[in-house]
Amino acid sequence: MSIRPALVFAILLGLLLVLEAALFVDALSRRKVEATTLTQLEVLTSALGLTDLAVSTEARYTRHPAVSDAVAPFMDHPGAIEHFPTGAFWLPPPR
Amino acid sequence: MAQYNIEKQLNILDYALSSLWRRRMKSLSVLLVFAAVIFLLASFQMVTQALSDKAKQVLAYTPEITLQKMSAGRQETFPLTYKDQLDGIFGIRRVVPRIWGYYFDEVRLANYTVMGMDTAEMPEGDRLDSALASGKMPSHEESGRVVIGHSIKKGLDLGGRSTFSLFRPDLSLKPFEISGEFSQNTDILTNDLMVMTLDDARDLFAIPAGQVTDLCVYVANPKEIDTIARKISDALPAVRVLTRPQIQKTYQVVFGWRSGFGSICLLAALAAFVILAWDKASGLSPEERREIAILKVLGWETSDLLAVRFWESVIVSGLACILGMTAAYIHVVYFSASLFRPVLMGWSVLRPELHLLPSMAAGDILLILAFTVIPYLAATVIPAWRSATVPADSALGG
Amino acid sequence: MLIELSEVSKIYNQGHPNEVRALTDIDLRVEQGSMVCLKGPSGSGKSTLLAIIGCIFPPTSGRAAIAEKQMTRLPDRFLTLHRRETIGFIFQRFNILPELTVLDNITLPLLPLGVSPKERKLRAHALLERFGITHRAQFPAGQISGGELQRVAIARALINNQPILLADEPTAHLDTVLSREFMVIMQQLKEAGKTIVIASHDPLVFEHPAIDRIVTIKDGRIHVP
Repeated sequence: MSIRPALVFAILLGLLLVLEAALFVDALSRRKVEATTLTQLEVLTSALGLTDLAVSTEARYTRHPAVSDAVAPFMDHPGAIEHFPTGAFWLPPPR
Repeated sequence: MAQYNIEKQLNILDYALSSLWRRRMKSLSVLLVFAAVIFLLASFQMVTQALSDKAKQVLAYTPEITLQKMSAGRQETFPLTYKDQLDGIFGIRRVVPRIWGYYFDEVRLANYTVMGMDTAEMPEGDRLDSALASGKMPSHEESGRVVIGHSIKKGLDLGGRSTFSLFRPDLSLKPFEISGEFSQNTDILTNDLMVMTLDDARDLFAIPAGQVTDLCVYVANPKEIDTIARKISDALPAVRVLTRPQIQKTYQVVFGWRSGFGSICLLAALAAFVILAWDKASGLSPEERREIAILKVLGWETSDLLAVRFWESVIVSGLACILGMTAAYIHVVYFSASLFRPVLMGWSVLRPELHLLPSMAAGDILLILAFTVIPYLAATVIPAWRSATVPADSALGG
Repeated sequence: MLIELSEVSKIYNQGHPNEVRALTDIDLRVEQGSMVCLKGPSGSGKSTLLAIIGCIFPPTSGRAAIAEKQMTRLPDRFLTLHRRETIGFIFQRFNILPELTVLDNITLPLLPLGVSPKERKLRAHALLERFGITHRAQFPAGQISGGELQRVAIARALINNQPILLADEPTAHLDTVLSREFMVIMQQLKEAGKTIVIASHDPLVFEHPAIDRIVTIKDGRIHVP
């Protein structure tokens, strides 16, 4: 007795659903950990007056674009074009 | 009647599945390529969303007003006496002087962010020790003591020692002793950070006494930030005034631009895929024409044939979407978006561990669905109308 | 009368420069339980006639009643619905889908009828048993012998218990042994009450004793010698 393809497909979808559920349950526990980290981050930003994430640190104007300015990349050389990879993704503030 | 319709659709679904299975190499490769495109698109969206969420949460606590001096388009240090000129402005709660600089470590080729300030004066300053992994913040009088971020500690390669030295501009060495270390959990903010006293920072950068780089201003009533910023601007015309709402807005613009740019690149990939799918779907091979004609003579309606194609497309794109999004989530959460790290981190030498947890709201999932599954369905089901033009009698004769 | 055609004409591409007159004034009556052979050279219009009898398309003019249903003005969709209830087709070269199993090929006409897999299997196995090919049920149709293929094609035409069987040049690609076997099965089906129309110019078919009538088609008209 062979089972119909639609049933096989439904079982496959069911398995995927179990995987998603497992990821969801894991996400719940991760979210709890995240919450404690977040209070630490809040204390740090308040106490140190930080303005940016330390995601890209290759140039001084990419580390803290919010307190940098549009001409920052040109400070190294008058004709310099912004050439750092993250600079293509993190613009200095428009103002 | 409902029973009949359900059974009929199930039969057609069976047929669609078995015809996908018959062409399993082709179906699988389409599925995988499609899933890969969705994976890239979804990963990118999740990283951007998780980062911008984190930035938004964190930036809610930046100083309300930051003052910097601009001269000839460059940021300059200014004397602490500027602080006195703010005394007359009503509504300012406190002003904290700060030296913010970057130290380029030529041995490790890394930029450190150096902050010289008296953290005890800052809001929440007394709770700062709770955010450290070990040690404590140096007090105002403790000269030569620093708190450093995780990556700096690793980069300096101290072994068991707790002292190190940095070069002053004249290449003389300034010794430091580590008094504390930021937790690895807060890497996303503190990875490249080095906090010391104001005097130490002046000494390190050879800044004249009494000079600072910024003033952090806190106001009594947050609703008055803009008014007070304007008053400061009037009192100190040479000074650039940045307010918290401006910084937040800047961030939204930066993230919006960034994710928009990336999304456009990835959407181009998706568009290429959809065009390919359209091309594949719109031409009927002789075998397909023959199959359609036979099925028509055997009593299949044109709508049944369209339903087969519809189910095929729904199965392929639906599965690709589920697989792609799940893989993207796993990639971002469990592998810290390692594929996007080079783009996000650029040429940074100090790279923070990213602990990202995107919150997948129904809206995000729908957005990805709308940009992937629906174009694919349109590209594959609409050309299937051609099957209606295959005459049934072409199965006869010949 | 199960098949009743009067003054049936078929013109392809009517009103266009490439207009083709395929059939002219065909009158044909076939009683239930009889076997008729449409004879004629290729291009004579017998395939077109078969398609009209098989409700694949309606005639351009004239009246055609198949199983007591006037189909002259029926839209395509109703032709299809009527066809799957009344007509079983056996194609030239049998038109079996080679990648599907024998069982799946036979039950193809039942899928859009909403017949459950269990019921489909039951009906198919009854026919497989009748034709002695039960052991081939799960074989891909591309891997079975010509004789078995022929029986699969006939089984598929019978799966919905249709009263009319149409065969289009069924023996054109068969050797004599298989052609004879085909006619033996047709004779059995006729005796079981099926109405059968075969388009063929193979003497093995039209000289078979079970054939009640030979209708000769020439240049789109019924030819009376």
